[in-house]
Amino acid sequence: MVRRYCKAGKMRQGFYVGRVTYAMLVAPILVLIFLFFYVPVGLAFFWSFFLERPFGGGSQFVGMQNFSRVLSDPVYWEALRRTVVFMIIAPGLAIGISLVLALAADRGLRLSQAARNIVIWPKAVAGASIGVVFVFIFNPFLGIFSPINDLFPGLWNPRIDGNDAFATIVVAQVWNGIPFNFVILLSGLQAIPDMLVKSAAMDGAGSWRRILDIQLPLLTPQLFLTFVLEFVGTVVEAFGLIDTMTQGGPGEATTLLIYKIYVDGFKAYDLSGAATQTVLLMIFVIVMVLLQFRLEKHVKYER
Amino acid sequence: MTANAIRLDCVKKSFGMTEVIPELTAEFAASEFTVILGPSGCGKSTLLNMIAGLERVSGGRIFIGEKEVQDVEPKDRGCAMVFQNYALYPHMSVAGNIGYSLKVARVPRPDRERRVRVAAEFVGLSGFLERRPSELSGGQRQRVAIARAIVREPQVLLFDEPLSNLDAQLRHDMRMELSELHMRIGATTVFVTHDQVEAMTLADRVLILNNGRVEQFASPHEIYHRPATTFVAGFIGTPAMNLIKVIGDGRHLRLADGTEIAPHGRTGPVVLGIRPEKIGIGEGVIASEVIYREDLGSHTSFVVRLNGEQEVNVATPIGTELAGLDQLYLTFPEKDLHLFDSANGQRL
Repeated sequence: MVRRYCKAGKMRQGFYVGRVTYAMLVAPILVLIFLFFYVPVGLAFFWSFFLERPFGGGSQFVGMQNFSRVLSDPVYWEALRRTVVFMIIAPGLAIGISLVLALAADRGLRLSQAARNIVIWPKAVAGASIGVVFVFIFNPFLGIFSPINDLFPGLWNPRIDGNDAFATIVVAQVWNGIPFNFVILLSGLQAIPDMLVKSAAMDGAGSWRRILDIQLPLLTPQLFLTFVLEFVGTVVEAFGLIDTMTQGGPGEATTLLIYKIYVDGFKAYDLSGAATQTVLLMIFVIVMVLLQFRLEKHVKYER
Repeated sequence: MTANAIRLDCVKKSFGMTEVIPELTAEFAASEFTVILGPSGCGKSTLLNMIAGLERVSGGRIFIGEKEVQDVEPKDRGCAMVFQNYALYPHMSVAGNIGYSLKVARVPRPDRERRVRVAAEFVGLSGFLERRPSELSGGQRQRVAIARAIVREPQVLLFDEPLSNLDAQLRHDMRMELSELHMRIGATTVFVTHDQVEAMTLADRVLILNNGRVEQFASPHEIYHRPATTFVAGFIGTPAMNLIKVIGDGRHLRLADGTEIAPHGRTGPVVLGIRPEKIGIGEGVIASEVIYREDLGSHTSFVVRLNGEQEVNVATPIGTELAGLDQLYLTFPEKDLHLFDSANGQRL
């Protein structure tokens, strides 16, 4: 069978002829996506119109009541506000810092080869592990900021001060995001023909001017990609960090939408409320991504 | 506009351990069109980049006019450059590309727009100002690159193999335009190429570079008629000059097997050079075997083998037809002989 497809492949320049082969190759990933993405999403939609009992056994159709309940809850809006703030600060920093690092690495400064490798390493660390490490780093008595408390007692304490806690989540998220953004942006910068930068130099542009006028505009596709992924990441993937570092506290200072869903659903057993919030969050993410794609159409160009 | 001369004083360049240009001294006169010609890897683009400031010198000095510039940023050298693959900014319109240097130099907008229009008209692109580079043909892109270089009236114009991406017809047209352009704007021009036709047609003087060394720096006429070294002799002309190892006995030059080639007073081993079209056919005494023949319509070009196994290119005069011959009898006229030292290749 293998031989048969090799032959056919040769004749048709590498395209698979049999639909069966094609389907078999795609099937495993489709099954996974279906089981672990579309089924839960569908169920969430379904539950958001029902009132579910916490321990199973019978459910009641309630129409839009779940939605009106969630949307009239000030706690929900507060979590949304925090999520939006987080969505602006964390990706902004993660991409801004990555951009500076990538520009430096692209210029071939001294030790940039070594730095390039080191910057990529954090990508290999799981979100939860990052959280555990940062809890230690930010510990008010043992961590690297503890000297601040020796000088000004009580100034730094993420377990008590909501802003400090929020800052630790932001730092962890940014640190987590830099490697991937760095790789994408650096490869984007290196794909810009050297001649364009040289040409701009001949046209009288200094290095800052070249970055602004040539490199950044030509880096737009990569910047766009990192922004989309970062936005989605801050909404969805920040869960691991929050759960290991602050569990949403102190108070609810670090309870973002994704963490609120978890608390409502799995701690408070408000399954319908959690499902409804999931649906709303999904709509929120879809709208954000669509907006970004609309934006991208305006900055597209051909090389 | 006053153009400036360019002077290279003991310029050196190496990349790590690789020495590209050992030591080079040359002067390109003001308003002169100089072509740097050489095979790939001879260091000609490196030399141009060093004049432009895109590449640092490893030693020596570069002067543009009276100013020593080897440590000066490219933007302060007053050079403009046209790159091989045009290097147009893909996210800017044609007008944006041409006007970028003026924008960087903070030229006020009305003045800028006027100069962009003039430059675009100069290269025949007036109707294309709003287009993107991706919407232009290769020749048009090349014109944008040229307009971009001339728009700020540079003292020095640098060309890095600008025609090598164009097809033959377009290349011919662009040669004519470049020649005309040079006459009109009169900037000191340095043009790098590996194409000898471009060098011969465009240049006031040609600098022939081989392994980072100057083989000859002279007018195209002199390069063709009095090549300074065997390298130049073997590089210029299509086909290039024949180079034959001979031994002089004081009265004649002879091949290794003793065949008499031409009368000459020289003694000892030398390299004899003769252009294919200067070799006399028919009445001669040197027997040769035809091994390849190309009928080019206007004339016929042969490759023949002399006794002693040396192969020689021969071209018939225009209009001569020599069909079906397996053997040619050749003469090498004494006035058309070039002699080179057999050890170092220098002209004798």
